[in-house]
Amino acid sequence: MNTLLNKVLLLQNTQALVCAVSSVQSQLLTTHMALGVLLTNRQYRSMPTHGIGKYRHLLPKALPKKKKDRVQVKQIKAATATEFGVFNVCVSGYDMTLVEHYSQYIHNLCNHLDIKVDESYALPTKSTEVMLMQEQGTKMYLDAVLKTHERIVQISEMKATLFPIFMDVVLKNQPEGVRFCVKQHSETDFQARFKTRPELEGLLAKINN
Amino acid sequence: MRYSYENVASSVVAVRHSHWFTSVLSLKTSMPLRAEPKKKKKVDPRREIMMKERLKKKLKRLEKVPPELIPIEDFITPAKCFDETRIRDAPKLCFEESERRALLLKEWSRYKYSQHQTEMDTINEALEAQRQALDELKLESEELYKAALSPDMDLFPFQHEGPSYTPPVTNYDAPEGKYNDVTRVYTQ
Repeated sequence: MNTLLNKVLLLQNTQALVCAVSSVQSQLLTTHMALGVLLTNRQYRSMPTHGIGKYRHLLPKALPKKKKDRVQVKQIKAATATEFGVFNVCVSGYDMTLVEHYSQYIHNLCNHLDIKVDESYALPTKSTEVMLMQEQGTKMYLDAVLKTHERIVQISEMKATLFPIFMDVVLKNQPEGVRFCVKQHSETDFQARFKTRPELEGLLAKINN
Repeated sequence: MRYSYENVASSVVAVRHSHWFTSVLSLKTSMPLRAEPKKKKKVDPRREIMMKERLKKKLKRLEKVPPELIPIEDFITPAKCFDETRIRDAPKLCFEESERRALLLKEWSRYKYSQHQTEMDTINEALEAQRQALDELKLESEELYKAALSPDMDLFPFQHEGPSYTPPVTNYDAPEGKYNDVTRVYTQ
């Protein structure tokens, strides 16, 4: 046992000596040579000071920065025996505040009733020019420019039993001048949000021809 | 007169004799037209293949770029709002006015809370009634119960217009006119 201890001590001593020597050497070398040439961060894994100076594991994990929040193409879930698939609740009207507040109300109601809301987005505004015929003469003149705003709340996996109650509540609270519409979500609806790409379509037509 | 006729005849005869003018009365065909059709060289199908490959490469490059969403004009504040000359400070209220406003807010929040409560109560009652009815139906017949649970697709699409202060007047003689859709079309 004694011999073992002695051996261990000897080992430790030699290691300490080696460390000392190396540190002295490294000091000497660093003083003589240029900085940054011999800066070694050697890990002394058997020493109790192993890992001294590490701090990166204590910082909060910084996720790699996402390049852009691209709108992902999600698979449209079909309806099951007791639940609806993905459907869009579309609120549209001329008055933006009413439309927005109504869509927010619907969203909050869904949150309260534990209805899963996939997405809540706005469709681009449509501008309509109202041209009226003049009383005398045949010329048309511009009367007004009406802007139709649209907001969509996309709901998925809603229980079929809850649906009529939900519709009742939502219709009871419908403000004036706002059109409420429910329809199934389709690929065309999804593609309507994106800009048209005439070059791509032209190329596809050429290749097919 | 006769002289001219003879001349014409001689010229016609002269034309017939030369080998370059095959026929006077029929169509005048030139040398390239009368030549044999060009032989199809092997370069042509290769050229077509090259063209197709080029188009496919272009298509790949275009497809790599993801489609962009159309920007929504509602969310872009108009430049008029950034005009600094139009900023003004909030009006200074007297003590009673601010007190009145605070108390009004509290009243309003109490009213809205009671509204919300009644709504949630009605929803819960309706759900409870539905659950009881479905339980009874289950005892009656399994098939009808399943049919009741299944989603009703005939509802889509559903549309409903909100109530209006000024509904359309009957027998109204509207002035003539038309609607023009002037939405800005964005292309990528």
